[in-house]
Amino acid sequence: MSIVANLPRRTLSLSEEEAARPVAMHLTGRQRLSSEERTLSEKIFEEFRSDPRHHEFVLGCLNCGECTTGCPAARFYDFSPREMLQIAANGDATTLWDAMQEKIWACCQCYTCNMRCRFGNDIAGIISVMRELSVYHGLEATRRTLAPFGRSLTLLMTVGTQVSSDMIQPDFFRDWGPFATGSDKVWQVGADVMRRAIPTDVLQTTRSAWEVSVQTSLELFRIYEETGVLDMLRGLDPDLTEMLVDIIEERREEFQEARERFADEIAGMKGPVATFQG
Amino acid sequence: MNPILVLGAGPAGLSAASELASLGAPTILVERESFLGGNPIRWHYSLLAPDLKPAEEVIGALVKKVQADARIERHLSTTLEKAEVGAKGYRVTLKTADTSEIRDVSAVVLATGFDHFDSRRKYEYGYGRFPDVIDFKEFELMLHENKVVRPSDGRVPQRIAWILCVGSRDVQVGNPWCCRLGCAVSIKQAVEVRQKHPEVDAYVYYMDIRTYGLWEDLYWKSMQEYGVKFIRGRIGAVTPAEGGGRLLATGEDTILSRPTEVPFDMIVLASGMEPSAGTKQVAALFGVPVGPEGFLTPQLTDLNPVDSGLPGLFLAGAATGPKAIPDAVTEGMGAALRAFQYARS
Repeated sequence: MSIVANLPRRTLSLSEEEAARPVAMHLTGRQRLSSEERTLSEKIFEEFRSDPRHHEFVLGCLNCGECTTGCPAARFYDFSPREMLQIAANGDATTLWDAMQEKIWACCQCYTCNMRCRFGNDIAGIISVMRELSVYHGLEATRRTLAPFGRSLTLLMTVGTQVSSDMIQPDFFRDWGPFATGSDKVWQVGADVMRRAIPTDVLQTTRSAWEVSVQTSLELFRIYEETGVLDMLRGLDPDLTEMLVDIIEERREEFQEARERFADEIAGMKGPVATFQG
Repeated sequence: MNPILVLGAGPAGLSAASELASLGAPTILVERESFLGGNPIRWHYSLLAPDLKPAEEVIGALVKKVQADARIERHLSTTLEKAEVGAKGYRVTLKTADTSEIRDVSAVVLATGFDHFDSRRKYEYGYGRFPDVIDFKEFELMLHENKVVRPSDGRVPQRIAWILCVGSRDVQVGNPWCCRLGCAVSIKQAVEVRQKHPEVDAYVYYMDIRTYGLWEDLYWKSMQEYGVKFIRGRIGAVTPAEGGGRLLATGEDTILSRPTEVPFDMIVLASGMEPSAGTKQVAALFGVPVGPEGFLTPQLTDLNPVDSGLPGLFLAGAATGPKAIPDAVTEGMGAALRAFQYARS
């Protein structure tokens, strides 16, 4: 966001308190924010700048714009990785706050900007740090932005992947036999041959990769609990969080039942499989 | 006094040899190419920034001076094969295609210069794939021959883009340094084109314009008098434009913060400067310290930029870093003086 866009909307009839504030505050449009927002934005800014990843990801910027050139999001939205990096490197609490409302969610995390950057910045990385903070602090705009992604989030939290095998329909892979629906006959034949060339055991592994065991699912959830990810999510979407907790509770019970059922077998086992309690 | 060896016959080496001879020192000038003059002659530079004097005239004067001096022993198409520390100075082996000669020299001036960056390494610009994407040394030749045409179809281009910092200021290709001259040379080329063909549109894509010191005048005049256009931002990709055989340069206009896509008839890449193959070779042969960039490092970059710190070994020109011709010539003079003092002591 350019400085021009941030110019104060109100310049007249300042209260005494407002008039006493440093000039810079008016230049960055700080008075737009409520006092709670101001406090929160400063807190977020402080956390952002003191995050060790900030030091590691943001090196400097020649403002060449090559990151934006390759950015798919920049072609469709008012979004620019260069701007994000500038805000990360030189912005103040308000510009960071503004960027964290919606813009950071335009990024598709493809990391093309990183590949292009001649300075070696981790631009996509610093954007993900901003996202993390916006989720952690449960920003209203973040809640709104992420609302449509409930299904992906549920899968991610319960089985660790966004896509499950039941979501993959032949229609998505029109060039991939035997359901190939593409018009290119040559390619269809080719695809069929290629498909047959895949060894059976590889195909089995590919299938089993989608099947997440109850234990894996529980271990994953334990990680989310212990690392604070679940608390982050609770701040953002309490309803979804409660639903996830319910799902996992059910699985825990299932798991305990299984443990009791196979108690004799487990007693003879060693290692994490034997000691995991769910 | 054993002769003093000067390695490299570009501006710095020619200057050093010429000064040594005028001091009365026997001088051996060794050059790996078959001609004197270094990169400006090798690549047929047209006019030199910032005074717009023909390179042939400027370097030619120095070449003539060296050619006319009987005290300078010239070895063309010759390389250094071996160097050993002698009682005083070095014992070196000079090699040509079919001969090998051992000589004792009392001091050595390394003026081995730079090579232009190989623009194929910035693959996104399509150099080597699209004939109308050319390197700025190739464009110098076009200007020199007064034949500015598209290599693909021989037509005079309507719109030309210069992309600065190709292989400079870029950790992606491992060259974070500035080439110092890409800005001035590109602007000079744009001016030269506009002088000869005022109907041609000239765009320069830049991150910063570094026409340092008095050269700034060239930058201002290029806009004021020649209407060269400057867009702040780098081109991220060059692709064939749909229809018409033009090239589409895609980038961000960082002043206006918006994407830019402009079709061009020709794209000129301001390729950076790297230590030459010869510079790398002598660094290994003599054990001269090199910096992270691969250029030779003088002992004192501030107070004595021509001493290597090794006995009897002196440095001049672009072997120690990107440099303009006048600076290379000055360093050649300085290195000649220091080498002469050493040889006489």
